[in-house]
Amino acid sequence: MATEVVIPMLGITVERGKILKWFKSEGDRVEKGESIFEVEAEKVTTEVESPASGILKKILVHENIEVPVLTLVGVITSEGEEIPEKYLTIAPPKEETPTTMVPAASPEVSQRMASETSGQIRVVPAARKAARESGIDLSSISGSGPGGTILKKDVENSIALLRREGVALKGKETRATPLAKRLAEKQGILLDMVKGTGPGGRVTKMDVVKALEIRKAPTPAEAPAEMLFGKTIPMSRMRKVIARRMSQSAFTAPHISFFSDVDMGKLVQVRKEILADFEDQFGVRISINDFIIKAVGLTIREYPMLNASVDGENIRINPEINVGLAVAMDEGLIVPAIPHADRLGLGDIATMRVDLVERARKGKLTMEEIERGTFTVSSLAQFDITFFTAILNPPQCGILTVGKMDEKLSLVNGKVKARQVTQCGLSVDHRIIDGAVASAFLQALKKELENPSDEFLQL
Amino acid sequence: MGLSKQKKLEMFGKMVKIRFFEERIVDLYARGLVPGLAHLYIGEEAVAVGACANLRDDDYITSTHRGHGHVIAKGGDVRSMMAELFGKTTGYCKGKGGSMHIADVNIGILGANGIAGGGLPIAVGAGLSAKYRKTDQVTICFFGDGASNNGTFHESLNLAAVHGLPVIFTCENNQYGISTAQKTHQTIKDVSVRSTAYDIPGVTVDGNDVMAVYEAINEAVQRARSGKGPSLVECKTYRWRGHHEGDPNLGERYRSREDIKPWIEKCPITRFEKLLLKEKVLTQAKIDGIKEAGKKEIDEAVEFANNSSFPKHEEIYQDVFQEEMGGSR
Amino acid sequence: MREISYAQAINEALRENMRRNSRIILMGEDIGRYGGIFQVTAGLLDEFGPERVIDTPISESGFVGTCVGAAMTGLHPVAEVMFIDFTTCAMDMIVNQMAKMHYMSGGRGKVPFVLRTNIGAGRGAAAQHSQSFHSFFMHIPGLKVATPATPYDAKGLMNTALADENPVMFIEHKKLFITKGHVPEEAYAIPFGKADIKREGTDITIVATHALVQKSLNVAEEMSREGVEIEVLDPRTITPLDKEAILNSVKKTGKLITADEGCLTGGFGSEVAAIVAQEAFDYLEAPIMRVGSPDTPVPFSPPLEQFYIPDEGSIKDAVSRILAYQ
Repeated sequence: MATEVVIPMLGITVERGKILKWFKSEGDRVEKGESIFEVEAEKVTTEVESPASGILKKILVHENIEVPVLTLVGVITSEGEEIPEKYLTIAPPKEETPTTMVPAASPEVSQRMASETSGQIRVVPAARKAARESGIDLSSISGSGPGGTILKKDVENSIALLRREGVALKGKETRATPLAKRLAEKQGILLDMVKGTGPGGRVTKMDVVKALEIRKAPTPAEAPAEMLFGKTIPMSRMRKVIARRMSQSAFTAPHISFFSDVDMGKLVQVRKEILADFEDQFGVRISINDFIIKAVGLTIREYPMLNASVDGENIRINPEINVGLAVAMDEGLIVPAIPHADRLGLGDIATMRVDLVERARKGKLTMEEIERGTFTVSSLAQFDITFFTAILNPPQCGILTVGKMDEKLSLVNGKVKARQVTQCGLSVDHRIIDGAVASAFLQALKKELENPSDEFLQL
Repeated sequence: MGLSKQKKLEMFGKMVKIRFFEERIVDLYARGLVPGLAHLYIGEEAVAVGACANLRDDDYITSTHRGHGHVIAKGGDVRSMMAELFGKTTGYCKGKGGSMHIADVNIGILGANGIAGGGLPIAVGAGLSAKYRKTDQVTICFFGDGASNNGTFHESLNLAAVHGLPVIFTCENNQYGISTAQKTHQTIKDVSVRSTAYDIPGVTVDGNDVMAVYEAINEAVQRARSGKGPSLVECKTYRWRGHHEGDPNLGERYRSREDIKPWIEKCPITRFEKLLLKEKVLTQAKIDGIKEAGKKEIDEAVEFANNSSFPKHEEIYQDVFQEEMGGSR
Repeated sequence: MREISYAQAINEALRENMRRNSRIILMGEDIGRYGGIFQVTAGLLDEFGPERVIDTPISESGFVGTCVGAAMTGLHPVAEVMFIDFTTCAMDMIVNQMAKMHYMSGGRGKVPFVLRTNIGAGRGAAAQHSQSFHSFFMHIPGLKVATPATPYDAKGLMNTALADENPVMFIEHKKLFITKGHVPEEAYAIPFGKADIKREGTDITIVATHALVQKSLNVAEEMSREGVEIEVLDPRTITPLDKEAILNSVKKTGKLITADEGCLTGGFGSEVAAIVAQEAFDYLEAPIMRVGSPDTPVPFSPPLEQFYIPDEGSIKDAVSRILAYQ
């Protein structure tokens, strides 16, 4: 019977060895226990004994080739025995290049950690969980804990206040009695604006009645002007948030602004032509803002930096182009965003715009609809404002302002022509966007608006 | 000789079995089929067999890291041993212990021990238990010349002496603690002289003469069984191979092949064979038969181990604690 | 119900079990004639005789190992190591033999053995007689570790230890030996792995061991008058640990303080903090605070030693740090 001769185990840590010398040649007789070869490993030379008596029929690994321990190096057969077939087809080992251990992939970086540890916000775990579950943006909350850490109660307060402000939050549907539901619907009150005092936090009819009474008191925006002089008005929660965010934006991002006159003639013409059919098809009237939103979306595609935000020392380019439209309300500005503005047809954009603005006015937007915005369009076209600058909506790095559309005289090829001109402004975060990029973007946008492409005009 | 022919045959068979077991391990280990460490008993068979021939199944032994010989001599089953060495669930310790921790409490084997000197206090405990329960069980505690310097040696002999416990402290002096020669690790030549420090009997014998070992231990066992307390028996012997498999060139770092030769000539099995032939206890044919049987048993053990399965991952968590509650009985 | 001391409670448990179970023997230094240096084994030599109550030479390794061997061969020994500091002299027997025999032998060799010892500074016994490193033993799989804080718990836990066929490190506390408490006369057992909520609360959880249990209760009493309700949880055994009770408590309060007399680094509190941070992460409203001894040897000089030992003041410090997050 054939006996395999291997490089034996040479010690717990030894992995490779090299035969320095075969004491026997192919065809020689060996005795069990006789030294058959000498192997070197880690500077130690060991004599290896033959595991059996017989003929060393084949040597498979010759001298001075480093091989792993336990490699088959020879075969011993009994006198007169033929060597089994399988040993004849073993290829001699090539000199192996030692492979260095590649360290395992670095530990996974929690996606949540990456997105949540924005800047220096410190949050206790319970607060983080509460914020996550209700869809609140932690950067909109100020922390009352040590070093400004956001505590659980800060998030809870925020949730309560936002509910009262009319922002619908993620989470369980508000439980209400049937009576309460009917009354709320009739009076146009949002159920989750109302604090429920019934069993399990249910909203009762009395709760709705109370909420209606609260609503009766005029807000500063509603109050007649003469009433306000001499008064000290505490900021509403929303005003506080706006104040904080605008300050943060203004003092963190160095703003630079660029202006360009845009000839809206062609767009006005297009709008006039499609207005009726558009309304038939989509049920809404298309507005200039819809065109602007689409054009902005398309232009950002070519200028991804305008879709970015600053994250410490990194610039994060958002994967989606979601263009927000600033909506003015009594209490302040709110900016819902049209998702994928570069890809939607004008029909979808207009439909969505109408829905978002309506719900914004009613306080029925979700946090996600607000938070998803990557760029903002702010239009004061309905006012007699030529142009204006705007403060970036953090953490966005670009905002487009749209002034009123005016008929203007200009010289075109030496001839005087009347044009419908809107002054558009672009404010950007100079930390990451320089003049050249901003100008190029604005120029490209102007070009698109003045000469709408087919893709632009796709309904 | 007080020993029956049957007994002598048994002893011879065991020595042969130990030799074949260990030699097989040499080959299996070289081929990477036995994981972990292996400390082989080749050359020392007479000590384990001569000593354990005096014991009953209900007597105890504690063993060392070089324990295969003791376990086989005490009646351990080579299949379960081989499976344990392979790390299989059918091993003595379900694969959880390995070579250095083989134990079979049912036949009084309180474990091989990976700690030098680790078994001594445990042997004292077994002795205390036997005395307390008023049985005449005895405990043979195997340890080496290296361990005789350890604190546990002194504490154990002292405790056993103070309480007159039935423990036979059996020193296998194979002249080395790994690579450290006896003459460099202690000033005495015979470990047995230390018995006087504890006022217990101590004797030194030729550890390669199985009958000499048998007789010396026999006297100590009788003393222990009759309540006369512990003894120290030193057996001079030698291991033919390195400290562990992987100790290069049979221990060449600290001894030469020339040193090993005279001990191979004093091979305990060959000597016993000659004696048995001379006494006409055995014929050559009988001897060959015993060797055949021994080899066959080892082959079966290897096959058994090969065919057994490894423990599943979940088994890692089993046997950390004993699950059933015992209690006052 | 009568009141007896912690030492008497343990004595009673030993005595009653030795009467019922002849397998139990005691070994240790000065436990027989002297009755043990803290008098825990007083009177036992008289009742049970020198065969069962053995005064050993100064040989921790020897007699702890002897107990292991005796446990493997039919007895249920109880060894006393005079101070936990001396377990170092028997560390091989505890860590490599006692804890592992059952596992290494694949379940064939069991070691029903209770090793009693004690921790705690405060008696001017200095660095080598005052340590509290019981958390070492929590780190060694195969050992159960009991940490009674009251006489009631001590008797109940010892009864359970002597009914368990596994190795048990029974960690007593030097300064608790003379404390008194209500202890039923009849036999009762406290299961291992079952914590005791010694005071319920809603604002902060304190997981405390040994002498820090009472100190935590004192602080809780005080803070209650200021409107802060502290829950005090005594694990009673650190292996097995009642994780569920701890997690439920932290989920309720959101805030955790651990109080254990071991050194801060690598102490019992660190393990509890890690468990809670991993398994109750979303419930944490404040950082986890650990109260423990400084990372130094125990000093001799009395004012230093007093400063060393964690007390009500240390616990209150932790409480006020947490209240900043309330």
